[in-house]
Amino acid sequence: MTSSTISLTRASGWRDRLGDTRRTLLRNPLVLIGLVVAGIWLVIGLVGYRIAPNDPLQQDVRARLQPPSESFRFGTDELGRDVFSRVLHGARITIPAGIAVIIIGSTLGTLIGALAGYLGGLWDEILMRLSELFMAFPTIILAMAITAALGPDIRNAILALVIVWWPSYARLIRGLVLEIKTKEYVEGARMVGATDAYILFRTVLPNCVSPAIVLATLDIGNAILTFAGLSFLGLGPDPSSPEWGRMVSIGIDFFDQWWMWLYPGLSIASLVLAFNFIGDGLRDIFDPRTKK
Amino acid sequence: MPFYLYFLRRLLFVIPTLLGITLVAFIIARAVPADPINANLPQSALNDERIIAAFRQKWGLDKPPHEQYLTYMANLLQGDMGVSIKTRKPILDDIRQFLPATIELATFGIVLGVLMGVGFGVVSAVWRNSLVDYFVRVFALVGVSFPVFLLALLGLSVLYAQLGLVAGPGRLSITLRPPPTVTGLFTIDSLLAGQWRTFSDAISHLILPSLVLGSYVSGVIARITRSSLLEVMGMDYVRTARAKGLRERVVIRKHALANALIPVVTVIGLSYGSLLSGAVLTESIFAWPGIGRYMFRASTSQDFPAIMGVSLLIAAIYVGVNFVVDLLYYFLDPRIRLA
Amino acid sequence: MKRLHVGKRAALLLALLVIALLASGLAVAQEEKVLVIGHAESTDSLDPARGYTQTTGFILRATYETLVDFPDTDASAIEPGLASSWEVSDDGLVYTFKLQEGVVFASGNPLTAADVVFSINRLKNVKGSPSFLANSIAKVEALDDLTVAITLAEADPSFLSSLPNNAFSITDSKLIQENGGTDAADADTTDTAENFLNSTSAGTGPYVLESWERQVQTTLVRNPNWRGEPPYFDRVIVTNIPEPATQKVALEAGDIDLALDLTADQIKSLEGNPAISIYRGPSNIVHFLLMNQNPELGGPVSNPKVQLAIRYALDYEGYQELWGGVQPGTNLAVGLAGALGPDQALKRDLDKAKALLAEAGYPDGFEITLNYPDFSFQGVNMNTNAQKIQADLAEVGIKVTLNPGELQVSLQDYRSGKQGFGYWFWGPDKLDPVDFLAFLPGGKVATERANWTPEIAPAELNELIARARTESDQDKRLELYRQLQEYAQQNGPFAPFNQPDIQTAFRANIQGYVWHPQWLIDVALLSRSE
Repeated sequence: MTSSTISLTRASGWRDRLGDTRRTLLRNPLVLIGLVVAGIWLVIGLVGYRIAPNDPLQQDVRARLQPPSESFRFGTDELGRDVFSRVLHGARITIPAGIAVIIIGSTLGTLIGALAGYLGGLWDEILMRLSELFMAFPTIILAMAITAALGPDIRNAILALVIVWWPSYARLIRGLVLEIKTKEYVEGARMVGATDAYILFRTVLPNCVSPAIVLATLDIGNAILTFAGLSFLGLGPDPSSPEWGRMVSIGIDFFDQWWMWLYPGLSIASLVLAFNFIGDGLRDIFDPRTKK
Repeated sequence: MPFYLYFLRRLLFVIPTLLGITLVAFIIARAVPADPINANLPQSALNDERIIAAFRQKWGLDKPPHEQYLTYMANLLQGDMGVSIKTRKPILDDIRQFLPATIELATFGIVLGVLMGVGFGVVSAVWRNSLVDYFVRVFALVGVSFPVFLLALLGLSVLYAQLGLVAGPGRLSITLRPPPTVTGLFTIDSLLAGQWRTFSDAISHLILPSLVLGSYVSGVIARITRSSLLEVMGMDYVRTARAKGLRERVVIRKHALANALIPVVTVIGLSYGSLLSGAVLTESIFAWPGIGRYMFRASTSQDFPAIMGVSLLIAAIYVGVNFVVDLLYYFLDPRIRLA
Repeated sequence: MKRLHVGKRAALLLALLVIALLASGLAVAQEEKVLVIGHAESTDSLDPARGYTQTTGFILRATYETLVDFPDTDASAIEPGLASSWEVSDDGLVYTFKLQEGVVFASGNPLTAADVVFSINRLKNVKGSPSFLANSIAKVEALDDLTVAITLAEADPSFLSSLPNNAFSITDSKLIQENGGTDAADADTTDTAENFLNSTSAGTGPYVLESWERQVQTTLVRNPNWRGEPPYFDRVIVTNIPEPATQKVALEAGDIDLALDLTADQIKSLEGNPAISIYRGPSNIVHFLLMNQNPELGGPVSNPKVQLAIRYALDYEGYQELWGGVQPGTNLAVGLAGALGPDQALKRDLDKAKALLAEAGYPDGFEITLNYPDFSFQGVNMNTNAQKIQADLAEVGIKVTLNPGELQVSLQDYRSGKQGFGYWFWGPDKLDPVDFLAFLPGGKVATERANWTPEIAPAELNELIARARTESDQDKRLELYRQLQEYAQQNGPFAPFNQPDIQTAFRANIQGYVWHPQWLIDVALLSRSE
C-alpha cells in the first residue's frame, strides 16, 4: 500500500494517461482474467446467489459433515448446512463489505486530504499528524481493537476498517491538491472571485477523483482480505452467517473435512486475486518506473 | 548535512508521533465498555471501599479522562504499565514473555520473505516480459492475495497432519521443555545450551508459520524490487555503464542493484515492523504465544491495561523501524548527505 | 604408542566399562516418566478456596486431599480420606472426624486438626467462587490434635457427599499463613495467598504443583513426602490446547498421551487406530438455556409461557446427533439419584410452542440476543450448539442474535446475573439430588443468575424446597425431588437440552484411565505399559 501511494503521488499528468488506459488494460491477459473472475463474483453477489440449491441457514444434523457429492456439491458443514449454497450467499456479505469499506474510507480520506491540502498551515499539520497516528498501527490490530470495543458485528467491523482505511487516501489526495492548487486554472477561478468551497469542489476535487479510484482498485483486495480476517477471528458477523472468513475459521476444528474450509477460502483468494490482477495492470500504467 | 544533525532531526520527529499513539490507544482502550474496576479487582475486593478508592486513585479513575491519560503517562514514566486482567501479571512481564516468540517468528518470516522476494524480483526484472517474469508476477500476486489463514490451514492439514513433514502449532513439541532463557529465542537459547534436539524441534515449528508470513512479504518485496530495478536500469548512468561495454551482470550487480535497494529497504523495514507488531492471524492459528495472540486475547477480554501496553509497544516498534529506515537512507542515498 | 601392560589394560577396560554403565544409568535416570495431557484449560485459580472450574478440579485432585473421598470410579459411596473415621450426632448437626496419623504435607509440616479448621474457615471467609459450598457450616473446631468437629446450621443429609469437592481440600495452614493467607472473618480483603497457591501447592496429595503458566501449561511433579505408593509418572504436564483438532493431531503424533476435549466426530474418526484407546461414558454436564426472570433483563423470555414454549421448541434429538449423550429430564443430571431420565423428559412440539407464544402475546415471535462463551468444553463446541439453538427457535418465529463472548468476560456477566438470555453448562457441585436446588428459587443459579428468587416464587414451591433440603429419609427425599423436577419442567427460567457423552481418547499404552464425575481424572492412577 505504501509503495503504491508513493508512486501515485509522483505520477503526474493523469488525464493524458487515462486516455489509453482502457486499451492497455485489455491487452494484459492477467487483467482480463481478473475482470472475468471479479465479474463472475459480482454477478453471483447480485443475482447468482438465487441459483443456490438450498437455504444457507437450513440445518440438518442428520446429514452433517458429508463430503462433496451429487446432492451437496461442496459437501455439508458441522450442522448439515449446504456449503455450496453458503459460499454463494457469502458473496453477498464479503463483497459489499469490502466495497463499503473502500467507498466510505476513500470518500472520507479524500475529503480530509483535500481539506488538509487546500487549507494548509495548521489544519494541514493536524490532519496529517492524525493520519500518521492511525497508520502507525498495523491494520488488523487497530481494526481488532476497535471492533472489540464496539462489539462484534458486521457494521462495526466495517466501521473499524473505515477508521483504519482513510489515512492512505488522505495522504494521497493532499499531495495532489498541493500540486493542483498552484495550477493556473485554480488561480484563475480565484481571481474571478470563486468561493473556497466552489474552488475545492468544482476545480480541485474533480482532478483528484481518478487517482483515488486507481488507489481504491489497488486496495479493494486488501480490504476484503482484512474484513475476512476480522471475521475469521470472530469479530465480524454472527457465527451462523455464511461469511467466508467465518466459514474458514471452523476449519481449525475440522482439518479432515477440507471441503468445509477450502471452498470458502478459495472464494476469498480468487476474488482478491482477481482484484489484484486488475490493480496490477493499473499500476503498470501509472507507475513511472515500469513505464516502457 | 552531518550525520548527527540528521539523527537529531529524525529523533525530534519521533516524539510527537509516540505521544499521539499513546493517546489513540488510550481512547480506544477506554471505549471498551467494561468497568475497569469490575474487571481489574478480584470479586472479593469489590466490597471494600478502601481498595476501590486506592485503585481509582492509582489509575486516576476518579478524574476526568484527560487527567486519567496524564495519570497513565505518569505511571508509565515510572515504569508501571499496570497489571493484565487476563494473566494477572505486570504488562511488562507479559511483554517480556511474549515478545521473543514474535521476534523469532517475524525474523524467520522476513528472512524467508526477503530471500524469495528479492530473488524473484531481480530475476523478473532482468528477464522482463519473459515467461519467468510472468510467473514471478503471478506468484507475487498470489502471495498477497491468498488469505494467510487459508495458507496456514492448507499447510497444517497437508504438510503437518497428512504428511508429517513439519511440526504443528506451538513453538516447541509438548514433550520438550524450553531451553534456559537467555534471549527468549528458542533457536538461539537451545544452541547456547547445546540442546540439539530442542534446536531442530524449534526450527521445525518455525517452518510453517514463517513460510505463511514469508509468502505474503515476498509478494510485496518481489513487486517493489522488480519495479525499482526496472526504473534504475532505465537511468542514464546505467545506460552509460552499458555503453562502456560492461557485461550485463556486472552492470546489474555493481550499478543497478545498489541504487534499486533504497525503496526495497523501506518495504523490508515496514514489513518487518508489521510482523513484529504481531501477525495476529498467523499467531492465533499456529497457537504461537506471541504479541499478536496476546493482543487478540486482550481485546476480546477487554483487558484495558494490556491493550494499552501492547499498543505502546507496537507504536514503539513502528517508530523505531521508521527511524532505522531513515538512518539507512542516510547511507544509501547520497542526496540526503549533500542536502 | 607404547604397549600397555596386560593388567593395566584390563584396568582401563574395566574403568571404561564402569563409566559406560554409569553413563547409561544416568541416561535412564534422566529419562523421566512424563504424562502429557492435552486440554482446553479453564482454570480460574489454583487456590482451593477460590478456584472453581473443571480444570482446577483435576489439578487439585492430584495435589490435595479431602477429609472423605469417593471411590476411584464413581460417587456411589463415601470412603475415608484424610479422616480415617467419623461420627454424626443424632440431630444430624455435628460431624466429628478423626484424622489419620502421621500425614505430612509436601512442605514436611505435619497435618493436624488446626489445618482442617483453617482450610474450612478460609474457604468460607475468602468469599471465592466455591465458598458457597461451606454456607451450611456454622462452626469448625479442633477437639484435639487429630479430631475435628464440624457443626452445621441445619441438618443437611448431603453434607458428606459435598466434602470430596476439591474446594474442601485440606491445606497447609502454616505454609499458607507464612505467605499471606488467613482464615479470619475478613479474609476476603486480607488474604493475599492466591498468587502463592497459583505458583505452588500446599497439600498432601501425591503430586505438587511445579508451575502454572496461565493458558499455556500446568506442571505437576511427585510430592517427595507422599506417604502412599509413589504414582507412576514423575511429571504430569497439562498443556493448554484450546482447539480440539490440534489435540487430535497431537494425540495421533504421540505428542500428548490424553486428549480431554475431542469432539464426538473426532473420536469417531480415531476408532480403529491401534495406537489409540477410546473411553466413552455418560457425563454429568447439563447444557441449558437461562431465561432471566427479571423482565428488564430477560424481556420476552421472562414470561413463563415463553419459557415453556422455548422448552417445547428445542430439537432435543438433534443435539444428541451432534454430541451423543442423553436428554436430561431437568437440570438434575441423569445418573444422580432421583433424576428424571430421557423417557420422562419433554418432547419437541412445535405446535404447542407456537400456541404458547401466541398466548403469551408473541404470535409472530420476537427478537432476542443469546449470550454464551465462545468455548469448547469436553469436545462440545458451544458455538455450534448456539447456532442450532438459533435455528431451532427460528422455527417458531423467535429471531435469535448470537453474542459469543470471551469465557471470563461472559462468566462475569453470567455470575453477576446480568444476562437476559444465556447458554451455559453445569456440572454438579454435589453428586447428590440436592444439587438440583441450585436451579430452584434460593439456589445459586436460579436466584443469583436468573433472578428466580423465593420472593417471586409461589409459597408451595418454597415449602417443597425447604422439605427436600432437610428430609433425611431417602425414599421420601427422592419423592420430593421428583415433584420439584416435574414442577421445573413446566415452570421456571431454564431449558436443559443435552447431557453429552464423555469421550476421551488416549494413547493405547496408557493404563488405568477412568473418568470420574467429581474430579474428571485422577492422574495418580495412570501408568504406561512398556
